Amino acid sequence: MENVSIIILFLFVLFTLLGSGVWVGLALMGVAWFGMEMFTTRPVGDVMLTTIWTSSSSWTLTALPLFIWMGEVLFRTRLSEDMFRGLSPWMARLPGGLVHTNIAGCTVFAAVSGSSAATLTTVGKMSIPELRKRNYPEKMIIGTLAGAATLGLMIPPSLTLIVYGVTINESITKLFFAGILPGIVLAAMFMAYVAIYSKVAKDWNPTPEPRMSFAEKVKNSRFLIPVISLILVVIGSMYLGYATATEAAAFGVIGSMLLAGFQRSLTWSTFTQALMGATRTSAMIALILAGASFLSLSMGFTGLPRGLADMISQWELSRFELLMVLLVFYIILGMFLDGISSVVLTMAVVEPMIRDAGIDLIWFGIFIVVVIEMAQITPPIGFNLFVLQGMTDHEMGFIAKAAIPMFLIMVLMVFVLILFPDLATYLPNNMRTINSS
Amino acid sequence: MLKSLRAGLDLLYDFSGIMAALSLIAILFLIVVQMLARWTGEVFPGAPDYAGYAMAAASFLAFASALNKGAHIRVSIVLNMLPRRARWVMEVWCFGIGTAIMWYFVFYAQKFVYWSWKFKDISQGQDKTPLWIPQSLMLIGAVILAIALTDSLLSLLFKGRHRIVREGDESYSE
Repeated sequence: MENVSIIILFLFVLFTLLGSGVWVGLALMGVAWFGMEMFTTRPVGDVMLTTIWTSSSSWTLTALPLFIWMGEVLFRTRLSEDMFRGLSPWMARLPGGLVHTNIAGCTVFAAVSGSSAATLTTVGKMSIPELRKRNYPEKMIIGTLAGAATLGLMIPPSLTLIVYGVTINESITKLFFAGILPGIVLAAMFMAYVAIYSKVAKDWNPTPEPRMSFAEKVKNSRFLIPVISLILVVIGSMYLGYATATEAAAFGVIGSMLLAGFQRSLTWSTFTQALMGATRTSAMIALILAGASFLSLSMGFTGLPRGLADMISQWELSRFELLMVLLVFYIILGMFLDGISSVVLTMAVVEPMIRDAGIDLIWFGIFIVVVIEMAQITPPIGFNLFVLQGMTDHEMGFIAKAAIPMFLIMVLMVFVLILFPDLATYLPNNMRTINSS
Repeated sequence: MLKSLRAGLDLLYDFSGIMAALSLIAILFLIVVQMLARWTGEVFPGAPDYAGYAMAAASFLAFASALNKGAHIRVSIVLNMLPRRARWVMEVWCFGIGTAIMWYFVFYAQKFVYWSWKFKDISQGQDKTPLWIPQSLMLIGAVILAIALTDSLLSLLFKGRHRIVREGDESYSE
């Protein structure tokens, strides 16, 4: 790293642009331009166009808008009522009672949506009023919802994993399958916490549910069957190698529209709202990705990634120590940046380090997602906290405090993941890969 | 005069948003047709390339309407802490930088498309599309975003507020 002062200047420009509130995608383009001008003699503008055109017109990217679209359609159906009614009879007898519907509901919706805010809104819309009516402790209602909604980022389809896969050129399908088991384990850990809490806490005094026969339970959850089948088709088609991630997403869009059609919630206005919403959200991510593709090219010229990787390797950190350093780094970054931006911003620098340390990149994708999930529920800009604030009128401080146990469970999850890496790598190593194209 | 310009610009943003939505439908259509082709043993040469072009069009054409609806992510923590006057200065800086970057992009994008057209650049894939066609959709989207940013910057300078209106439940981004 001979140009230390220029690199510092480069980082200064990066943080100034981002911090002052320039839109992330445009800020990345600006920094990349600056880096190229400082470190190369190439015609910067022409290189910028070639890079951004290539990355924006990539076929792998098409999974992104389609999965967003699918989530948008389902978000506008009656799903949130069905979810509570269908899941609650099965949860009523568990220790912890209906609070589990928050977690189970988030897990199910996470499997049709790649976004944690959408998961939160869909599940919370129904479960918050119902749980309050039954006198469950407010802290638990809010906390579990904030935590479990982050599963939307991990359980496939996950927008963050698509972005990660596109950024480092790994198979999106593999990343999706890597997320399944850790997602389920994390959900189980949340549930275990709820169960223990319900036995220990003094403020646990919910209204008991009326008993239901098995037949009644099934009758109540019949509305969930279409959604569950949609999940099975989307995920199954990828696992068995019948479809690529993009093709599975296309199934998902069509399936969700059929489902909404049968429910009679697919009107012209919900159709256009879902479509326009999906277009905008995907454009938002596309702008960041366009900026990031140019930035990672520019970063290469600055020598920053290589330099940092060399420096880190000189420290002779063990793999575990390196992961701990990255854990702290991403938690801090996550306080100021959203998850997708932190992934694209850092991968150019972090990727060589990870490769040098011999860490599996698929596994690392799941690691990074857990850490980003934590950032979603930590102030000052935990995204889920904002959404919950809008939904419940609680103060930010109350919501953040209610979410602390979930945060700690996620920290625990990081160590579980390090201890049992197979959780993330078993499914992707054992799925059938697609034969044609 | 100014009124009809305003109406014209708003129409332009809406129109590009709708074109972006149609590109998204085109992606879905292309992928479904390609799957059907594969299952029936046919081939649909170039489908991934076409879907890629539609992806670029869907993104770029929607940039401006996403901007005006407040969908693009920015770090607003500092902005929100500032008093009104300083915040205005900071907003001018953000829109100024954004506008400059986008017009710079547009300048090279038109060059890029012009050379693709001049040299009759053909896609390397099976689709054999003359590349200037999909690339000009990117250019159009970039121009509209640059216009939208300029529009907001001018409005900020002369009227004191930008034109971004955040919609209530518009943030499922994460």
